[in-house]
Amino acid sequence: MPEREILDLDVLFVGAGPASLAGAIHLKRLFNESGCEASVAVLEKASEVGAHSLSGAIFDPRSLIELFPDYKDRNIPFEAEVKEEHMYYLMKGKKLPFPYVPPSMRHHGCYVTSIGKFTRWLGDRAEEEGVDIFCGFSGTDFVYDGDEVIGVKTGDRGIDKDGERKPHFEPGADIHAKVVVLGEGTRGSLTKKLIQKFNLMENCNPQVWAIGVKELWQMPSGTVTPGYVAHTMGFPLGHDIFGGAFIYGMQNDILDLGLVVGLDYQNPGVDAQHELQRLKTHPWIRSLLADGEIIAYGAKSLPEGGWYSLPKLTVGGAMLIGDSAGFLNGQRLKGIHLAMKSGMLAAETISEAFAADDFSAASLASFTDKVNSSWLKNELWKVRNFHQGFDRGLLGGLINSGLGLFTGGRGWGIKDRLPSHHGHELMQKGTAEDRYADLEFDGKYLFDKVTDVYYSATAHEEDQIPHLHVHDMDICITKCTEEYGNPCEKFCPADVYEMVQDSDGKRLQINFSNCVHCKTCDIMDPYQIIDWVPPEGGDGPGWVNL
Amino acid sequence: MKLCVLVKQVPGSESALRIASGNTWVEDAAALFEMNESDNYALEEALQIKESLGNDSEVVVVSMGPERVQKVIREALSKGADRGIHINEIPEIKSDPFATAQVFANVIKVENFDLIFSGLQSDDVGSGQTGVILGEMLGMATATLVMATEVQEGSIKVKRELESGWFQWVSMSTPASITIQSGINQPRYPSLKGIMGAKKKEMKVVDLSTAVTIEKQQSFANIYLPIADKKTEMIEGNVDQMVSRLVDVLKTEIKVL
Repeated sequence: MPEREILDLDVLFVGAGPASLAGAIHLKRLFNESGCEASVAVLEKASEVGAHSLSGAIFDPRSLIELFPDYKDRNIPFEAEVKEEHMYYLMKGKKLPFPYVPPSMRHHGCYVTSIGKFTRWLGDRAEEEGVDIFCGFSGTDFVYDGDEVIGVKTGDRGIDKDGERKPHFEPGADIHAKVVVLGEGTRGSLTKKLIQKFNLMENCNPQVWAIGVKELWQMPSGTVTPGYVAHTMGFPLGHDIFGGAFIYGMQNDILDLGLVVGLDYQNPGVDAQHELQRLKTHPWIRSLLADGEIIAYGAKSLPEGGWYSLPKLTVGGAMLIGDSAGFLNGQRLKGIHLAMKSGMLAAETISEAFAADDFSAASLASFTDKVNSSWLKNELWKVRNFHQGFDRGLLGGLINSGLGLFTGGRGWGIKDRLPSHHGHELMQKGTAEDRYADLEFDGKYLFDKVTDVYYSATAHEEDQIPHLHVHDMDICITKCTEEYGNPCEKFCPADVYEMVQDSDGKRLQINFSNCVHCKTCDIMDPYQIIDWVPPEGGDGPGWVNL
Repeated sequence: MKLCVLVKQVPGSESALRIASGNTWVEDAAALFEMNESDNYALEEALQIKESLGNDSEVVVVSMGPERVQKVIREALSKGADRGIHINEIPEIKSDPFATAQVFANVIKVENFDLIFSGLQSDDVGSGQTGVILGEMLGMATATLVMATEVQEGSIKVKRELESGWFQWVSMSTPASITIQSGINQPRYPSLKGIMGAKKKEMKVVDLSTAVTIEKQQSFANIYLPIADKKTEMIEGNVDQMVSRLVDVLKTEIKVL
């Protein structure tokens, strides 16, 4: 029988996104300067760097400039510098420009970017610096020594759907590291375990998430201005659901159309993928997409909670960065630069820990001090009550946000800290309302979910244990059907959850091979009985330029 | 023993492929690329032979294409191949197995390989000829559709897949070029240590675009998505009429009787 491989490394980042890669590059350079020969590696569950990366994205180069002062000469695969920007309030059939766009919402000097392309670029730079990147390996658990994290276990491969070993079974590995840095993205599965075990959200506002769904459209030659940026509010979400749409012009006549939907809505019938289709019924969007063709689809969740929803960032031997911690500026719709900066500050902390040969909780805790004294805090502090204002709807959110501009971010202009609520707790029982009765999917312009999922190039080995663990399937057919009308069928943007009727009655069918790894089910399930765990390494979406 | 494995990087089957303007190939920019499936089995076969011989045998992986193909070469190195050769893309021969074999022959003839392995065909073009033509150009014995191998002193015995469930065992003297059928073995996953070790292995980049005269034999005139052309005829009448119409259709329209 094959044995578990054991690999001894010095620093392991989990998840090859901008946070980890920027952190790994910065750390490798710091080690080089101090003559420290420690190894730095990044674990990534996708088959290649970038294949699970999705964002809007408008990219603020602030951290990149710190990491690569000569970034302008480096052929970074940006789509374009932001050229023209618009903000509209949409009503069914109409669009009104916002009379005033505050400076914080302007994107001058930023770049329309495919995070997939950018992350691949950053991955290549990391390898040049001597960082090892292990693609196709999922981190499934921690290795502990007492209460200190001393490594990560990767998942076994070749286990069939009944849990039996297949002929090519290969056990996972134990990667030992002095410091494990979790840059898994939103609602990371290891991050979730760590937060629970060490109660890292104590005294914090609950994290509030949103889901972003997007489609890329290939438009006729010469019709898309790279660097075009438009954001909207209003239709199709209305005033009671947080969120809005974005439309960005990319290279080669690709139009990027997406919608962010707050995962703190009340109507259990809300379906983000369907809202995106509703958005496309707006005559303005129809005119923008005329004669185009969909080429890609994807979804991801994003942490909207802001400063007060940041967990404690360190325990002995491990730290949280990027979306795993919640470094995202909801008002500016940006997180990549904050994610990168958090990774870089983590790197500085780790470099000092190596100098002192101390990886305890007390030693790594200086990461929090570094965050507090950096521009990272300045930026997030000013918008610390941004999302909470939307508890009072769109108008409330805008007023609160506007007042915050003059008071350095105080809630309603006076309060230092507004509370937030778990999104899944806000869902109202017995109020499921169908918002999509008049949507007609034609397979060419408006898509049902399965069609959209096809464009996400998602694949999973079918003969494995489903990676979505529902702890009590009885609740699905009893309580949940009655109370919420099975919202999993709605909130999942990839048709993973399906209530089916067969000879034994009604049951939940989990089409896990559709899963685009957005984690929305783990976040939004009203009973919190869904655990998203990583499937076999290499499985999942095959995104190229989302 | 010196073993060579030809690997090709092809668009992954899950990618929603689009035909590029000009209608002679798909849009590369929209695809995720991976190792051609049967090449992965060919690689595994070569690695297993190397391991079974236990002496100083060597597995060399060769791929042609743009810079991105170094990813599949590195993948092979991380699984245990010893060194890699990346032949820079020569765009005009993308779809031509004869010209492709010519380029490969030019690069690897100096290596004097005992065995050349390749997948039986590529998942994108699927002509299934490169391995055979290459063997011929290098004066080697060739065998296709190989389901099992037994390496002996100065020769190799291979089991070939024939039609209708028939197989054929053939012994050939080395050097030989054989093309491997998918499913012959159980390809391994790269290990973490393998991935780290692969970085230190040699990857030679060869540029032949000006050094060889390409004898191009074929090119794509047009590629297009299958045209869905579904015709349904409801056959009505009594049983005799229906049978007679059905036989008529099978004979004259579908021509299977």
